[in-house]
Amino acid sequence: MQRRSLIQAALTAATLTAFGVTSALAENPALKIGFVGVTSGPAAAWGISNQRSMEARAAWLNETGGYTIGGTTYDIEIVSFDDQKDPKRAIAGMEKMAQEGIHYVVGPNVDDGAAAVRPVAESNGIMYFPYAFPKSLYQAPASNAVLGMVANYQSGPAIYKYLMENKGVKTVAFIAANESDPLSQRDGGVAAAKELGLEVVSDNVTYQVDTTDFTPVLTPVMRSRPDLLVLSGVSPANAPQLIRSARELGFQGIISTETAQDAGVLAEGAGDLAKGFISVGGASTPELASPMMNEFVDRYTEMFGEYNDESNTKVYALEYILETLKAEPSAIDDVEAFKAKMDTFEAPNPYMNGDAKLRYVGMSSFGQKRQVAVPLVVNVYQDGAFETLFVAEVD
Amino acid sequence: MEQILANGVYLGSQYAMIALGLTLIFALMNVLNFAHGQMYVIGGFVTYTFYGQWGVPFVLALVMSCVTLAILGALIERYLFAPVIKGPAREESTMLLAAGIAFFLDAVILLVFGEKQSGVPKIVDGVFNYDFRLIMPYDRILICVLAILSIVAFIGLMQYTKTGRALRALAQDRTAAQLMGVNVDRYSMIGFALGAMLAGLVGGLLVTITGVNLGMGGATSIKAFMMVMIGGAGVISGAIWDGIILGFMEAIGLALLYQYGDITYLLIFVSLMIFLAIRPQGLMGKPWG
Amino acid sequence: MFGFTSKQLARVGIFLFMIFIGVPLIVGATGRWDFYFTLTSVALLAIASAGVWLTFYIGRINIGQGAFALIGAYVSAILVVKAGWSFWISLPAAGLFAAVVAILIGLPILRLRGVYFAMITLVLTQVVTLTALALPITNGARGISNIPLPSGISVFGIPILPDFAAMENTKLAFYYTACILMIITYAALYRLVNSRLGHLCRSMQQNEELASSIGVNISYIRIVIFAISSFFGGIGGAMFGSIAQSVYPSSFQVADSVNFMLNCFLGGLGYVFGPMLGTLVLYFGWDLLFEFGKYQMLIYSTILIVIIRFLPNGLLSIRFGKGGDK
Repeated sequence: MQRRSLIQAALTAATLTAFGVTSALAENPALKIGFVGVTSGPAAAWGISNQRSMEARAAWLNETGGYTIGGTTYDIEIVSFDDQKDPKRAIAGMEKMAQEGIHYVVGPNVDDGAAAVRPVAESNGIMYFPYAFPKSLYQAPASNAVLGMVANYQSGPAIYKYLMENKGVKTVAFIAANESDPLSQRDGGVAAAKELGLEVVSDNVTYQVDTTDFTPVLTPVMRSRPDLLVLSGVSPANAPQLIRSARELGFQGIISTETAQDAGVLAEGAGDLAKGFISVGGASTPELASPMMNEFVDRYTEMFGEYNDESNTKVYALEYILETLKAEPSAIDDVEAFKAKMDTFEAPNPYMNGDAKLRYVGMSSFGQKRQVAVPLVVNVYQDGAFETLFVAEVD
Repeated sequence: MEQILANGVYLGSQYAMIALGLTLIFALMNVLNFAHGQMYVIGGFVTYTFYGQWGVPFVLALVMSCVTLAILGALIERYLFAPVIKGPAREESTMLLAAGIAFFLDAVILLVFGEKQSGVPKIVDGVFNYDFRLIMPYDRILICVLAILSIVAFIGLMQYTKTGRALRALAQDRTAAQLMGVNVDRYSMIGFALGAMLAGLVGGLLVTITGVNLGMGGATSIKAFMMVMIGGAGVISGAIWDGIILGFMEAIGLALLYQYGDITYLLIFVSLMIFLAIRPQGLMGKPWG
Repeated sequence: MFGFTSKQLARVGIFLFMIFIGVPLIVGATGRWDFYFTLTSVALLAIASAGVWLTFYIGRINIGQGAFALIGAYVSAILVVKAGWSFWISLPAAGLFAAVVAILIGLPILRLRGVYFAMITLVLTQVVTLTALALPITNGARGISNIPLPSGISVFGIPILPDFAAMENTKLAFYYTACILMIITYAALYRLVNSRLGHLCRSMQQNEELASSIGVNISYIRIVIFAISSFFGGIGGAMFGSIAQSVYPSSFQVADSVNFMLNCFLGGLGYVFGPMLGTLVLYFGWDLLFEFGKYQMLIYSTILIVIIRFLPNGLLSIRFGKGGDK
């Protein structure tokens, strides 16, 4: 008898909670935005900063009453899928998004995944925002992918040019992990450097992703005595070790990379040796960050316990999707309308001080507007934090 | 040349330690421990938490890494491997169990320690620089010495203590050891704990140099497998040699082959395959392990 | 018929009915169209796993199937993109190429046993990935993308296979293709295991020296089996490349090789259909746990550990009891 009443009580409670939840949710219809990327295993860091940026932003929007598109106020729901950095899983993830009726997806994080999901995305009418650089993803006839950040072949030349003009850099050496993404980025960087008239003194040294000691890897590079050492496509995990080894080998020149890094990781892994390290960041240097960016960082930190500087860039994709939908409400289930709108879309950039704009770019790199305009902020690491070196724009 | 030798010794000593733990477990129970790399990562994170986060002295943090992993290893052996090995299963089935444990530990590491790369402050500052011909930071020298000392201590333990003798007997012939009155269950557990402890120790040592992140686990396991193979599976002295050889191979390979760029590692791996095809039992292993 | 009992025939019938009619009906009723791709993946991975199972059958632990799947994917992609072949011809070519590679590599390495063979195949996966990164014909790090969908085949104007590019929904077409390939693979596997060669393999699995002493040409059998095994790997990989319409050096890597092996363990090494079930549970299980978000991996691995702890002989050992064969 007693057990039965217990079960009854539990059931009642469960039903009540369920009703309570549904009634709370029922105030606004849900707008689902997808994320397909890697959030477990070795490369978890890449996807997790993405997923968390989206969740933090969505929670924030929902808390302040939802997001209004075309007269309807939506609660934003993030549906994320862990592809384990496996292109086969990424396809399954994109299928899952199609299944959920989602038309806007952020991710995947790597070249092979981004290429593999293309057929699914195109046949199901999904716009996706990868963090992968191959131009073929964004050039016609491909039309559903929108690059979610600044590509290395855009940021690289800007950095090299700045260093040539301001620091008198004449020779450059490249080093990359022996993997698709970093090798492609290295090749792009080498081409850009040569075009600018830099002398490339070493461009074929690679390291395995699982390297634990970079001294033997870097020794031959150091012998070529470059003014600038570029760590092509370096992962946040390897960057501090590479910097440390290079400095310990007596390297005096400048070290730079075109990927986003995390100041905390650099401080822990390389300490003062990372001083002067140049990398591409988002928009959260104190000078640039708007009050809204600061609030985002606070909310993110409160929600997940720690912040990841990479999220400065990764907060943008969701914002672009929502702003574009707001500007073109019919795009909510019609990606063709979205694509048409992309050519003319413009909105104020809420994360940056000044009159920066959200707009789609990429004409000079891809021949069509298939890239989000995030400010190209080039940072330099100083005493545990990034300082802005210069800011540029991509067209 | 001096630099290559020094890099070789440094890499070799750390590889040898990783290989020792793996080979010990393999020798005792014929289990290829896929979770070895994850144990190494946990060791690194424990030292990171104690030394880097809470400011506990480094040596004490290392001890904590060893203790944590020894307990973890003992529990895994007692409740997972031992029952499966005793059961009617084919011997290889333990590989699936080991892989399952590797996935599990990966998930736990992600939930407990997060996805980011973590590092600790340097234990000693400064770089030893002999006329730019031999460059070696002091902390590396220290870690290298500590690693060699641990290996010597381990050999001492295996050679001169009762436990060591029992473990060696067990590795040679399980049935015979049992007949001679060795408590097989108990020493299997001790052996597994010891192997896991070695993984934790080397993780704790290396966190001061390379830092630690979630992704190192799987890669470390694979590297450890290769080392074990070069030396001969299940042979303790082989494990030490193979660690040193792989260390030197990498140091020399990178120094000599770097101009081939992208195919440096391809050449290293292909030569490894050729070596194994010619000498399948490794350097000093029992043939047909 | 063919020495099958009526019970076995009924089972096969139910199985075929399920995958060709049951699954589409269920998908149609529930609207879960995304299951098609997952099940297609399962079918293709099961083909590659069948190869791994076959090498287990001669007593070799194979952690190198990812290498052959990658070879297959590249061969097919190169033939289709650079030589303009039809995908349907490139598919067997990919399998054959993988088999030839297996013969060349197998000659020296098949002498190894136990962990030594396991480890060398593991290294092989690395070697193939690194080769793909280094060779010009594979496009190196940039991989091969924009692979066209399989084109149609017609003989004397009668269409035998439809043109995938003209299809509204390629999911179903790929699903059927993968299932048919899987059924052919397992039928071949079943036939092989119950043939004279199969008996010889079993004798080798138990004791190679003994088998050799009674006149079994063990080195010949080893090579043949390894070649067949790699053929399956090549086919599975090539088909995947065609679905993803892209191949990268990382399309199949060490983790995949390990998974192929785990599929066999999970299903049960003693059962021909073990790898199929193992693949279904391992791959589909991950997708089903999707709802658990960040605890997905934790739950997945816990279930895996529990299964192997209590069913160390694989999932199929439930039905057939201990010690049952096939």
